[in-house]
Amino acid sequence: MKSLGIAAKLALFILSCVFVIVLAIVIYNYAYSREIILKQAEENSRLLALETTSRIDAVLSSVQKMANNIAFSLEDATLTREEILDLDRRVLANNPEIYGMAIAFEPYFLEKDKLFFAPYHYRSAGRIAFTMLGGPRYRYFYMDWYQIPKELGHSIWTEPYNDEGGGGVLMTTYAVPFYRTVDGRKVFAGVVTADVSLEWLKEMLQDIRIYRTGYAFLLSRHGTFVAHPDRNLVMNQTIFSLAEEVKSPALWRIGRNMLDGKSAFVELDNTVSEDERYLFYTGLEYGGWSLGVIFPKSEMLADVTRLSNVMSLIGLFGFALLALLIVTISRRITRPLSRLSKAALEIADGNLDLVLPETRCDDEVGRLTKSFRTMKFSLKEYIDNLTSTTAAKERIESELRIARDIQMGILPKLFPAFPDRTEFEIFASIEPAKEVGGDLYDFFFVDETHFCFLVGDVSGKGVPAAFFMAVTKTLLKVVSERGLNPGEVLSKVNSDLAAENESCMFVTLFLAIIDIETGDVQYANAGHNPPVYMPCGGAPEWIPPLGEPVAGIMDGMQYTTKSMKMNPGDIIFIYSDGVTEAMNPDKELYSDERLMRFMSDARGPFAPKLVKDLDASIKAFARGAEQSDDITMLAMQFMGKCKK
Amino acid sequence: MEFSTTKKDGALVVAVEGRMDAITTTEFDAQSQTWLADGEKKVIADLSGLEYISSAGLRSILAAAKQLKGSGGQLVFCGLSGMVEEVFNVSGFAAMFTIHKTLDDALAG
Amino acid sequence: MSRFTHLLPAALLALLLTAAPAGAIEKASIVLQWLPQAQFAGYYVAKDKGFYEEEGIYLHIMSGGPDVLASEYLETGRADFATLFLATGIQRRATLPLVNIGQFVQNSALMLICKKSSGIEKVEDLAGKKVGLWANEFQIQARALFKKRNMRVTVVPQSDSLDMFMRGGVQAASGMWYNEYHTLMTYGLKPEDLTTFFYTDYDLNFPEDGIYCLEKTANRRPELCRALVRATARGWMYAFNHPEEALDSVMKRMKEARVPASRAHQRWMLARMEDIILSDQVPSIGVLRQADYERVVKILEDVGVIDKAPLFPEFYRGPVR
Repeated sequence: MKSLGIAAKLALFILSCVFVIVLAIVIYNYAYSREIILKQAEENSRLLALETTSRIDAVLSSVQKMANNIAFSLEDATLTREEILDLDRRVLANNPEIYGMAIAFEPYFLEKDKLFFAPYHYRSAGRIAFTMLGGPRYRYFYMDWYQIPKELGHSIWTEPYNDEGGGGVLMTTYAVPFYRTVDGRKVFAGVVTADVSLEWLKEMLQDIRIYRTGYAFLLSRHGTFVAHPDRNLVMNQTIFSLAEEVKSPALWRIGRNMLDGKSAFVELDNTVSEDERYLFYTGLEYGGWSLGVIFPKSEMLADVTRLSNVMSLIGLFGFALLALLIVTISRRITRPLSRLSKAALEIADGNLDLVLPETRCDDEVGRLTKSFRTMKFSLKEYIDNLTSTTAAKERIESELRIARDIQMGILPKLFPAFPDRTEFEIFASIEPAKEVGGDLYDFFFVDETHFCFLVGDVSGKGVPAAFFMAVTKTLLKVVSERGLNPGEVLSKVNSDLAAENESCMFVTLFLAIIDIETGDVQYANAGHNPPVYMPCGGAPEWIPPLGEPVAGIMDGMQYTTKSMKMNPGDIIFIYSDGVTEAMNPDKELYSDERLMRFMSDARGPFAPKLVKDLDASIKAFARGAEQSDDITMLAMQFMGKCKK
Repeated sequence: MEFSTTKKDGALVVAVEGRMDAITTTEFDAQSQTWLADGEKKVIADLSGLEYISSAGLRSILAAAKQLKGSGGQLVFCGLSGMVEEVFNVSGFAAMFTIHKTLDDALAG
Repeated sequence: MSRFTHLLPAALLALLLTAAPAGAIEKASIVLQWLPQAQFAGYYVAKDKGFYEEEGIYLHIMSGGPDVLASEYLETGRADFATLFLATGIQRRATLPLVNIGQFVQNSALMLICKKSSGIEKVEDLAGKKVGLWANEFQIQARALFKKRNMRVTVVPQSDSLDMFMRGGVQAASGMWYNEYHTLMTYGLKPEDLTTFFYTDYDLNFPEDGIYCLEKTANRRPELCRALVRATARGWMYAFNHPEEALDSVMKRMKEARVPASRAHQRWMLARMEDIILSDQVPSIGVLRQADYERVVKILEDVGVIDKAPLFPEFYRGPVR
């Protein structure tokens, strides 16, 4: 999901929403229309069934009336045989809905010598035919149409039957018992029957077509199918035997309700029939029959289904159109973005001359592109600036490096400096800070026996300090070689430096000259840190400062010369403030105290080793903190007769 | 390094705190240029809050004093202690400038 | 020469006779006592599956019905064989020399059926009630029962429909377990709606359908009789083992005869036929037991339907076990 593009995300979200909406509309429409159709169907089926039943009932009712009238008139005992035959024939002639009519008497009732008396008029080939029923093979007293009204004492409609004599026509018979008064007693005299062909009924029901496969069916009093589109069922099956066949208890219950004369609109599941259907049933007024009307559900709902299908199709089409539209629009939005993204990557790779994609419109993407263009130009300008600045800086830095190299080059670096001299041992080191500083040291023979050594520290840093240091060193050497004592040397050098020193630069200096034969030392100090004197085997001590100012600022200043005596093994250690002011990361200074402690702890010191050990000690103390000042150390050890 | 300047009895009191080394002295230089431009005559540098001073710091002080002197003014010091006092002594600055023990002494002198 | 010419047809005849058991088909006809239904499934199946042909019989099956008296067909020679109830066979023996050559239905399926709602719970409750009885042999057991219990009932001749019973015109109706009882089920009644009385439960078991022929047929064509019974037994067994196939045969004949046909009803009937044919009291299918014969004879004599009856071996010429 997160890796999908904007177009895909947009499409997914919008289309999901649209899909849900369309689905909801279709489902709601289907459900609602379905309900309406079902309601209508129920109403229509009720009307249809009622209309059908009333038509059937009307016919049966008129037949009943007719037969009842005849039964009533037969109670008149004066009717002759001929009159009875005539009555029978006339009624049939005047009532086309009656197929046949019989007036059957009890044995030996009308004519004492005749077992059977049952005139029967019936229609045959468009005419009215006549026969007398009864005989050894047709003992009508035991027929249902005779026996049941006799036993029950009221009229009945017989169960429909296929009349073999009438060419397999489906018939039902209305049978009315009639009575006569014999010896003051009302006795059963016989039965009047009216046969009604049910072919018209079958036809009428067959004409009922509901949708394509819907139909009507009629059940007899015992549940036998009297009319049904399936000919195999008619007169063969009852609704209960069908229920047994398809193993449907639901159908069985429906059958019971139908025979009980109830009305209902029910849904039949597909255990009852091959598809789902609705059934409306209602009882008839006569005959104990009931009518069922079957509505095929799928056909009933065909219009709704079609509507839903069309709606779904339109929805689907709209869906596809919308999808296309969203993809197109979002492509149009995101294409410049992806081009811009590609361009940004290229810019990141360093191609600042890249031509950014053109945008015509002034929307968010257009503004983004413009911002990008501005950024590109700024970046380019900045990088150009940076390049030239860096170039200038690098030039300066390299010049400074060269200046520093030159500066360091003028200091004596070769040790042992005087390998053929046993009278003394001298060792010096300078650890330059990152920036060009102004420390200096020097040592040289003034004459055959006098050896001059010095350490100085020019104020400030950088090229001016370096120049000042070079000048100082040169002056010192030149002045010293004139054979002056240290005080005179510093006084002279001070004067030379102070002249025209507008920048107020100055230098601290400690300069000493030793007679290498006697160990007599003369020294002067122009504001320099007090050096350490380490007598051989004794405790080290500071060479006390004289309180005389730094050189280079006060013209005409006179420096004093002091004297001291060095015994063999003694060391004079001169250093710059870079030693005592070396700092560790906790901003602590190495300090005079730590220096003095180091010196005290040095046992049988030897000048080069002393300098190297101290250097190591300072480095250990600094723990890698950046060195801010030059660290300059010079150790002069007088040997005299002392063995090296 | 931090500065705070106050006017007191016609003198400009500059209290310097922290460290004065090659990097921070440029601020002192800039500060001193403003005194000169304002035509200050008596400037008292109160160094009681100063912890450390390098040779570059000394140079800045020296340059300021020289310029002030050229315009008829005077730079005096007070409140020196510890390492700073030692440096002043070693470098001979103590001999070159007027140094008072306290600020009140400097104002009185 | 002439001797040989006389000998030639005789030799041919001999040849034909010896070949007969293997290839010759003997024609015969049987009349079943009622309309086509599963009551006769064994005969239809044996015919349709060719079991009769395999026994060398080309059997013509005729259906009975309300207008057909099977015993008359024997009498008039319209049929070689007929199926009859044992009671009918014994009665007809008085006037017609017929013999039983195989007894299939061992137990009587005849019963009386009442609606529970009529309040009849035991036989005695029938006293004074209207009881529907069929004619002739179907009345014997009922009359014997009522006589034995010394009960008076109003007998109403029962037609071939149950309409009268359904409408309450009679309180009890006659019925065959395999037929009318289930017909009531197809009218929407449930077994629990009915009270039933089986005659077999009252020592009135009358074996029913058996195959009969005239004595002379049994004497002249004994092998045909045995083959007919064998093939019929085979037909029944096949029908019980393949009920749906058997129902196809039955339904086909019912439709041909334009008789109302419900497969569910016929399925019930076939299942009940199995119950009453494969009685566990009889050694094998198609056998009439002497005890059964003698019980029926005694009851017939008690009721007064017959004066005397033939001895069992005279009457029964079928398989012994």
